Amino acid sequence: MDYKFVPSVCPYCGTGCGVLFEVIDGKLVGTLPNKTHPVNEGKLCIKGWNMHEFVNSFMRLKQPLVKTFGRFMKTEWDEAIKITADRFKEIIKKHGPDSIGVLVSAKITNEENYLAQKFARAVIGTNNVDHCARL
Amino acid sequence: MQAQVEQWLKEGNVDIFIGYKNVDGHVIPHFFTNENIDEVKDLVVGQAHYSLEKIATKVAADHPDMKIGILLARNCNQQALHVLYVWNQLNSNQIQTIEAYEASSDPAFDLGQSEDTAPYKQKMGLVKSMVPKDVEAFDQQQRFSRWMYEFSKCIKCYGCRNICPVCFCKECSLEHKDLVRAGNLPPEIPVFHLVRAVHMAGRCIDCGLCEEACPADIPLRLLYRKVDEIVVDVFDYETGTSPDQSPFSVLGEKVVLELTPIDE
Ligand code: SF4
Ligand code: SF4
Ligand code: SF4
Repeated sequence: MDYKFVPSVCPYCGTGCGVLFEVIDGKLVGTLPNKTHPVNEGKLCIKGWNMHEFVNSFMRLKQPLVKTFGRFMKTEWDEAIKITADRFKEIIKKHGPDSIGVLVSAKITNEENYLAQKFARAVIGTNNVDHCARL
Repeated sequence: MQAQVEQWLKEGNVDIFIGYKNVDGHVIPHFFTNENIDEVKDLVVGQAHYSLEKIATKVAADHPDMKIGILLARNCNQQALHVLYVWNQLNSNQIQTIEAYEASSDPAFDLGQSEDTAPYKQKMGLVKSMVPKDVEAFDQQQRFSRWMYEFSKCIKCYGCRNICPVCFCKECSLEHKDLVRAGNLPPEIPVFHLVRAVHMAGRCIDCGLCEEACPADIPLRLLYRKVDEIVVDVFDYETGTSPDQSPFSVLGEKVVLELTPIDE
């Protein structure tokens, strides 16, 4: 019997509302606002209320896809990261580091955003860092 | 309380008990079963209220034979259960309850009501601490503009419907394309809120969860209280205690009530 409530944080926007995922008999069936969460105090917007839908969506990407000859091919994480790194190296060699930009997100944590800009500046060597809110 | 639940689970009086547990400082709903029976010692009653009855309806929908125990932390939980029984959403023979509240506890007073003192809201809108009589003290035009001010803040999150223990319709009128068009904000007002208010007549047990969940601070409870007043006065139906379904479950051919003007 798998019945539980799993506390989590809404990934849809930078507000970061606290939610509870409702797992009934092993199936994720609902999302509830966390009433005692300091950010949202028991309230959610329509996106947060429907989070369980995208988790269960058949359209959800569950593994990396690499575009080869115009088509997306499923691959493993290690492979995808290696291909990306190789392509980055090629591009930097040919066009310089400023030919690459890094877009960070409100949907990831502060620390992950920090890492992303560090990656842009220290690894790639560019100051082209921007945020999804300005797209 | 814990001893009782443990005994019920062990003896098979209930297959699952829905209560609360403190998880990382948040007291949240929790399922207790024979598999995690050692967690029963962590069963608590918190300040924040969730609709455990509504959770029970989801369990029952999947497993109609499952015996479910529910912690009742407030008086209105009992009433919500009653409404769910009379509307056949739960089978009272399958449900065991433990009451963990004072008999005199009035749901109206143990809610964490937010500050109602914002001057603009006081001037333009209606505050949560009001009762229907306070609103009726305004003239008709004021009343209308104040309600419209409140409704215009709606972000159509559907939180009021989603959280409501007695909202269980498969097809919700608030998603009917002829009543509420998709993609507009605010939703059609006052239709959106009045449709819900009418549907809550004879169902709303005044638990206040909708108002707590409303990100726009709309005094929803006040609206539904007014509707409920009419249900009591005109139909003599007490939601949450009357043994039958509300009079609105019957579709008739003929209107038998006399029409009266809004402002007597
Ligand atoms: S529930 Fe809405 S406001 Fe809250 S984090 Fe999610 S998207 Fe943002
Ligand atoms: S007060 Fe609100 S949440 Fe509670 S029963 Fe009435 S409409 Fe539903
Ligand atoms: S909870 Fe408030 S904002 Fe959300 S749909 Fe209901 S009335 Fe509108």
